[in-house]
Amino acid sequence: MSSFKRKTTSKTQVLPGTRPSPGSISTTITSTGIPSLDDILGGGLPLTCSLVVAAPDPHSSYGELVQKTFLSQGLACKQDVFVVGGDQDALDWVKGCMWFRDSSSALDEVGDDQKLADEDQKMKIAWRYEQMKQFQTTVGSASTSEDFCRTFELTTRIPASTVENALQSSQLITCDLAADSTSVATPRVITSIEELLSRRLSKAPLRICIPGLGSSAWGDLCGQDILRFLYRLRSLLRQNPLTCASISLDPHISSEAWGGPGWIQRLGWMCDGMITLDAFTTNPSLSNLFPSYHGMVHIHTLPSPHTLLPPSDRFSNLRGLSASTTEGGSSSGENNLAFKCTRKRLIFETMHLDVEGGVGERRTTPAPTAGILDTDQVSRLQSESLPVPASKAALASVQVEIELDPVSTSTAKVPSYNDVTAIEVTHTPKKKPKKTVAFRSDRPDLYDF
Amino acid sequence: MLSPFDLPDGIFLLITDELPSPADFALHQCLISHAKEKKDSLRIVLSVSQSLTKWQSISGKSSVTISQQITAKTFHLIDVSSGLESDKITSDPLHALYEQVAAVLETYSQGPDALVILDDISALEWIGYSTSGLFRLCRALRALCLKNNATLLVRHHIVTPGNLDRLFRDVYSLCTHHLDIQPLTSGRSGAVSGQIALHLGPNASSVQPAIKVRSRSTALQYRLTDGSALFFERGSSRGVL
Repeated sequence: MSSFKRKTTSKTQVLPGTRPSPGSISTTITSTGIPSLDDILGGGLPLTCSLVVAAPDPHSSYGELVQKTFLSQGLACKQDVFVVGGDQDALDWVKGCMWFRDSSSALDEVGDDQKLADEDQKMKIAWRYEQMKQFQTTVGSASTSEDFCRTFELTTRIPASTVENALQSSQLITCDLAADSTSVATPRVITSIEELLSRRLSKAPLRICIPGLGSSAWGDLCGQDILRFLYRLRSLLRQNPLTCASISLDPHISSEAWGGPGWIQRLGWMCDGMITLDAFTTNPSLSNLFPSYHGMVHIHTLPSPHTLLPPSDRFSNLRGLSASTTEGGSSSGENNLAFKCTRKRLIFETMHLDVEGGVGERRTTPAPTAGILDTDQVSRLQSESLPVPASKAALASVQVEIELDPVSTSTAKVPSYNDVTAIEVTHTPKKKPKKTVAFRSDRPDLYDF
Repeated sequence: MLSPFDLPDGIFLLITDELPSPADFALHQCLISHAKEKKDSLRIVLSVSQSLTKWQSISGKSSVTISQQITAKTFHLIDVSSGLESDKITSDPLHALYEQVAAVLETYSQGPDALVILDDISALEWIGYSTSGLFRLCRALRALCLKNNATLLVRHHIVTPGNLDRLFRDVYSLCTHHLDIQPLTSGRSGAVSGQIALHLGPNASSVQPAIKVRSRSTALQYRLTDGSALFFERGSSRGVL
């Protein structure tokens, strides 16, 4: 019998819905429910960290959408969730969250998608492009396991039974703001979180979800109240290693017009990660210029709880910063990012101009009709019998001259209504200049036209 | 201290940074180089925005073990945020903070070359401490450090570049050196994280050894890694050459 024994590593307790960060083993990350946002954060939101989403557009609610996905992901992966209600009752808000479809229907849909993809695959344009992968502007959920990040659909609501069960098992805890306009609500919310954390026995990660910070239900907040709230929340998170938080700001406090110069910078210093979802609805010219996106994503700061360099800089495919360090710096820097909300989900992706230069329609005005008369029209005009002028004076005053192209007239028959052969000889098609397409072997995702 | 600049001991270094280019690396590098060069000296961190875990994990990447230093009483982290029990913030906690630093320096200082780091003075102002109170804290800390021949580092965030705030002007009037950390105007890049300029402050004396200052036009560029920063001259990064 051999005296050697296999060295077995001690089994560490795996927290539900989490995994180690690719950049640091000591950092545990959890998903926001949006795979592309996870990619921007460097794999997911680290525990002990806070993420602030500012969405300054008052006509849309993309910030709230991120919060709803964050909550749904927490419930789906059996983590504890603490929700602070804003203008709306917290429980009603939870009932409006999205959910994932059951596996059978999801499989059907995957099958349909696969069929469509196969049909697309059949449309080959050249053999030389067969080996090239399709140009991708975002990351899919296929790269992450289902336990870590579910695929939620905006068309599916969270089942009422799921909410009831979560409430009964204390997996879901709600906190409503009392309609007390005389005082600000931030100290009360901090106290509630402190009490919850002090009496908490569960070993599951806790998500703190705060939609619409700064709305009217929070009272008459000033900038200092919000900064102090974020500061105290961050210090609470750091004292509790199994907790993370996601906060969306009310639209009116999401811009510097409210907090003064440097307001967004101050917010960014008071949290671990902060992004702005700048929707195009406030600027119609941008929505015309970028019809396939709904807004731009601005990254202010990113979480890095155990390293100087945020893991996102090394591991985010969408931001593209890692390419410039690994490929000798040939990249121009960080990619521009945008988001779009499809019928089913919110997607963050890299921002590109369309092939035609930014719009789907023709940008130049077409030439006037008189300038493009072809031979058919000319001969039709000739064949039409002009009315005989009534007098000589009229004959002298109206004179129509039509200059015909000598080349065309020499080869063209005068077409009659039943003459089919005339079609063949009316035009000699002009040769268009050949389009040249080149591709770069070192960057297979780029095409040079 | 801080290898590319070789800053002398006993100075008051004001470090300014902006959100795209945080100066965390400068604070950590100062702490690490101090821990390596002066093992028995005292290091005090007034931690406003960074947790002990982060100080430990980044120092650990450079083979500096904070937990051993805590045991040896050469490292003290004072968590400033824990003093915010009450929502009514007055200037009294700042005085208590000063008293705490003075007590630690008096009790545990074994040599003249201690290091005191205040990692985020701006956040204290934003959450409600008065500008004059923070100025008095800096002045008192500076006097304490002069008395003990200790080095003082204070970090301040610039949120409106080109329009400097009152707190910056007050603290700048006390400093001997100013480390100016800026992002690239061309935006984020994987090859270059930012640039550093070093200026002499109003209180720089001729007694202190001369150091090579760098204006913004000759600023040194740097690239962050997980646990440190790489410095290089402008235009000589791997991404440029």
